Amino acid sequence: MATSKKTKSDATHGSNGRRWRNGSAQTSKPAANSDLRSYSIPDYRLEHPDLTVRQAIEKGKDGAEHVRYEVEGNLNAPVPPIRDSKYLDKKQCIEIYRYMLLNRKMEIGLENLYKQGKVVGGVYFGLGQEACSCASAYALDKDDWFAPMIRNQGALLVRGFGASETMMQYMAKADSPTKGRDGSSHFGDIEKRNMVSPISMLGDLIPVLSGVALGARLQGRNIAALTWIGDGGQSTGVTYEGINFAAVQNLGLVLFVESNLWAYSTPSEMQYRVKDLAERAIGYGIPGVIVDGTDACQVYDAARDAVERAHRGEGPTLIEAKMMRMKGHAIHDAAAYVPKPMFEFWKKRDPIARFENYLVKEKKWLTPTENAELISDVERVIEEEREIAVNSPMPTPESAEGGVFCEDGCHEIKPKYSIPKVKKGTGGFKQTEAAVHLK
Amino acid sequence: MQLTYLEAIRQGIWEEMDRDPTVFCLGEDIGIYGGAFKVTDGFIDRFGPERVIDTPIAESAIVGAAFGASLTGMRPVAEFQFMDFIGCAFNQISNMVAKTHYLWGAPAPLVLRGPSGGYVHGGPFHSQNPEMWFVHNPGLKVICPATPYDAKGLIKAAIRDNNPCIFFEHKYLYRRIKGEVPTEDYVVPIGKARLAREGRDLSIITYAAMVHTALEAAEILNKDGIDLDILDLRTVSPLDREAIAQTVKKTNKVIILHEHSRTGGLAGEIAAIINEEAFDDLDGPIVRIAGLDSAIPFSPPQEEHYLPQVSDVVREVRRLKAY
Repeated sequence: MATSKKTKSDATHGSNGRRWRNGSAQTSKPAANSDLRSYSIPDYRLEHPDLTVRQAIEKGKDGAEHVRYEVEGNLNAPVPPIRDSKYLDKKQCIEIYRYMLLNRKMEIGLENLYKQGKVVGGVYFGLGQEACSCASAYALDKDDWFAPMIRNQGALLVRGFGASETMMQYMAKADSPTKGRDGSSHFGDIEKRNMVSPISMLGDLIPVLSGVALGARLQGRNIAALTWIGDGGQSTGVTYEGINFAAVQNLGLVLFVESNLWAYSTPSEMQYRVKDLAERAIGYGIPGVIVDGTDACQVYDAARDAVERAHRGEGPTLIEAKMMRMKGHAIHDAAAYVPKPMFEFWKKRDPIARFENYLVKEKKWLTPTENAELISDVERVIEEEREIAVNSPMPTPESAEGGVFCEDGCHEIKPKYSIPKVKKGTGGFKQTEAAVHLK
Repeated sequence: MQLTYLEAIRQGIWEEMDRDPTVFCLGEDIGIYGGAFKVTDGFIDRFGPERVIDTPIAESAIVGAAFGASLTGMRPVAEFQFMDFIGCAFNQISNMVAKTHYLWGAPAPLVLRGPSGGYVHGGPFHSQNPEMWFVHNPGLKVICPATPYDAKGLIKAAIRDNNPCIFFEHKYLYRRIKGEVPTEDYVVPIGKARLAREGRDLSIITYAAMVHTALEAAEILNKDGIDLDILDLRTVSPLDREAIAQTVKKTNKVIILHEHSRTGGLAGEIAAIINEEAFDDLDGPIVRIAGLDSAIPFSPPQEEHYLPQVSDVVREVRRLKAY
């Protein structure tokens, strides 16, 4: 069988079947001085907070010196309006709002459970980040995958988990999705809701989600694989390896970098040197975009654009969502190291309050009565879920055993989307004297 | 047909890729180059670039992506150019892959394979035997074949297994041993040892290249009428407790031989198992022959001193026999 020899000029694919690497999509027209390149990163925010955190030495009343953080910048900037979405209609906006409320109320419920001594270990909060968790997950289609991080508990609700499941995780109950074996958002579902469980180490989900997209592509599907990483978490090496892998293999990773300004007690100023983390996209050769993480419409639009790119097989997107973590790292942490003016600044930008104002006052898509009813209904749902979780028993001690391996037919592994179509080249099995790499 | 150890592995992966479209390979230089040791030579022509993927130099991403693909029902075979580099993916293997089924019920049917072992003057970063890091990690199967027949049978078994398998291919054995390998489909069960040599006087429990060292020692000792029973573990985790107990019950004296360093090595684990399963059958202390507690040095005379040699085995057998 004759095969035509392809020259470089008419081949459309590289050695691994991918398009030729063509550099960052952001390369703009050459500057007047052609020794310089410039790139552009779209920024959809309607404000650009210029707050900077610095270490300073303060003298206490006792004369002793203390090192503290202080914030500088325009702390009185007015809160911008919500930016109208390009895609969302009234019904969808209200649904997202409802998920954000469920997210918030669930976490308040968790805090109460903790104070009642019913939680094992600590509680993590996504306070102030509900738009980022919910609106992004809302942009996924049914066949897409996601993997939440610790503060993306709202995404679980959007994808069909009940609040009771997260509550049972925290209370280490027998009916929790992991049957008590792990807590918080550390669970998954590869069958229906397409969720990969996080682990405590940061950044490791990124190559995994890239791999999910790879597996799907081998089955003929371009899916979106959504995950989040913090401004702290993105410092890890595995973050780099994962994004780069998705970039070079053109996989539909939708990565939200949640710039919430504090990684435990470490401010962004001590975490990285670029001005905005979206700039990292340039380094990976993928599109990057900045959105206001407290604006559900902006989050949704950027997520949806990225999801559709992924579905078209155009590869990964890096979305930097700017906001602030409004509680400490976990419930034990009062975040005393955060300068109070920063809390005040970002409190005015609470994503739920902003969206409520948008829906009720701006768009008038909800009357105040409807809004009150919606909130009541959310509270009722959370209370029901709370009951379910509280009434679930603790696991038996013996339930710690078993399940280390998949054996005796406990799982039948089949391709999720379809049996991969495979080519069979004409090459035969090589029985060669293999060349040894080292002497 | 007679195949080298390397060709047997190549044939095993090839057959699995032929019979199961969910199997695919990823790793550094495995495509057009055919792999640093040529294990995947010819694969990209036959199976195409989609199923034979050259990755960036990013072991954490290789393992992570393999794991992610396995969650969609694929069966990835990820290559480490040298198993010495498996440390670069340690967190992914240990905390992501190994624990996934136990914690949230998701199986991870992936194979991590690559060349390990010394005797080739590779130096400290191309001669390691890092299997113990993974033996100590519940949720992983660790496989170390010694013969072409076992290498092919076990790589096929590993690919078909629903659990993460780490497959250590001894690079010294790649081209140095040839064996009879059936052309028809067969698998070797994971977790079962085999007797490399039947004997009555003293047991040697070992695996991988050391099996051949023990066999060589057995020839020498046979001339003095010392008859060795040599147990080739084949799978290092889970260990075949029954086979270990059986050989001890047969000879009452046992030497455990492995290439990796002594402290925290497999011999300690096996000694504890013998204590649990066959204490009353022992007529002498359990003896360990292992590499030194250091990195593997580069210069040939130093490497020779570090690694167990035939002469070490002969000496220890005689000593234990006389106990």
